[in-house]
Amino acid sequence: MAKHIMCLTVNGDLHEFAVDDTDTLLDVIRNQVGFTGTKRGCTTGSCGVCTINNDRGESILACLTHALEWNGEAITTIEGLEANSELDAIQAAFVEFGAVQCGFCTPGVIMSAKALLNKYPNPTEEQINEGMAGVLCRCTGHIKVKEAIRNDFRLRQAKSGVRR
Amino acid sequence: MLLPEHAYHQPASLAECLDALVRLDAGRAKDDERLAKVQVVAGGTDVIFNMRLRLFQPENLVSIRRLPELQKIEQLADGGLRIGAACRLVDIADSPVIHKRFPALKDAIDAIASVHIRNIGTLGGNICLETRCWYTNNSAEWRNGREGCFKTDCEQCHVIPSSHVCHAINNADSPLALIVLNAVLTIQSAAGSRELPIADFYNKDGIAHMALEAGELVTHVTIPPCEDRSVFIKFTPRKGMDFSLGAVAARCGGSGEQASDVSVVIGSVSSAPIILDEPARILEREGLGDAAIDNAVERIRDEMGEVTNLYARATYKKQITKVLVRRALVALREH
Repeated sequence: MAKHIMCLTVNGDLHEFAVDDTDTLLDVIRNQVGFTGTKRGCTTGSCGVCTINNDRGESILACLTHALEWNGEAITTIEGLEANSELDAIQAAFVEFGAVQCGFCTPGVIMSAKALLNKYPNPTEEQINEGMAGVLCRCTGHIKVKEAIRNDFRLRQAKSGVRR
Repeated sequence: MLLPEHAYHQPASLAECLDALVRLDAGRAKDDERLAKVQVVAGGTDVIFNMRLRLFQPENLVSIRRLPELQKIEQLADGGLRIGAACRLVDIADSPVIHKRFPALKDAIDAIASVHIRNIGTLGGNICLETRCWYTNNSAEWRNGREGCFKTDCEQCHVIPSSHVCHAINNADSPLALIVLNAVLTIQSAAGSRELPIADFYNKDGIAHMALEAGELVTHVTIPPCEDRSVFIKFTPRKGMDFSLGAVAARCGGSGEQASDVSVVIGSVSSAPIILDEPARILEREGLGDAAIDNAVERIRDEMGEVTNLYARATYKKQITKVLVRRALVALREH
């Protein structure tokens, strides 16, 4: 089978590699770029642990899309959230509110939360439920996750010195 | 589950795509659905899923996701709308014109799976959604534990064993709204183009469930102008991942209890959406009062035909569909 050359910007860095017709975006992120934060779960679109963000900051399931579709595009994975050795506000909120237990789903959950907060910086309860409905956590549960998301806005305001 | 071997094609234009659909399918026995050599893919959320289950094993995948001709949501001069098949569900639902003038379509799209799926899934993909059942909705390894079915390699249906046709369910949501909105599909092939009302697009057959010939592609959906009220309601065990156990779209003219040009469509009970004729005529005669709604709901059972015993008992599905239709009609009245 023929290989195809494609390029992909991952977390701001341009990568170029040879991919098969059958490679999904998830295969490329994990095996070629080497970022294994993005997990392989059900691979059928039910669990959401492979969630990454596209260039518009929307949540995308990396397991259900061909790598070749992303030729020339830019994505963000969980590895791209941290800047200057400092956690992103939503990551810090997850730590503070204990929204991480075994951690397997956490990258997908955080990237989904990130996409939600990109669209609604201060989301309502309904918007949180809607935005997080596509990811499953089987040990932490979803209560702590929602607490972290609810408090992300407050943490960001505190950080930027804005008084509530 | 790995993907089966296939070649991936990304045509640059619609014309190139339509040519590829014919060229890549050459040599196939004409009416053998199981041996399709070419499969169209847009968002991939349904096609790649079915490929992982080995229900689709095409030699070639042709991607229409980036075809420039299929990307636009166009407002027509007459107040109608023309939507490209490769438009993402999220873009359609977020479009203010849909929210304002075609609320049933907005609600139907918002009800599809999770935001993750809608961020890449397309309207064309939802219209052409593959039918599913409890047997085929499992991995090839799981299915190997028993005999095959019409969709795989045997002449039998696991849902209704005495049946001569496949009873997989059509679970798509947006077509219900599009049917009540009188949408028309543009279907193109290398040989030409035709228009088909979406109400005539589906067949009650789990395998040949779409009126789509080899080499044809649904390219656009045209929705005529609509001043009427419209609603969409569905019931699903878990929002965000499950397909519906019942869904209904309804539309009518007039205001309050007045009702003209009533249209009610139910889904997820059969291999095709079902247009409820008699209940709609009752409502047109009697309006949207409680008694008229009772009358209309009582007549649904006769029009439902054989309800597929899938994901829930048929008696339950008949009941939930009645409840949903009642809720939809009350919502129309209060719209």
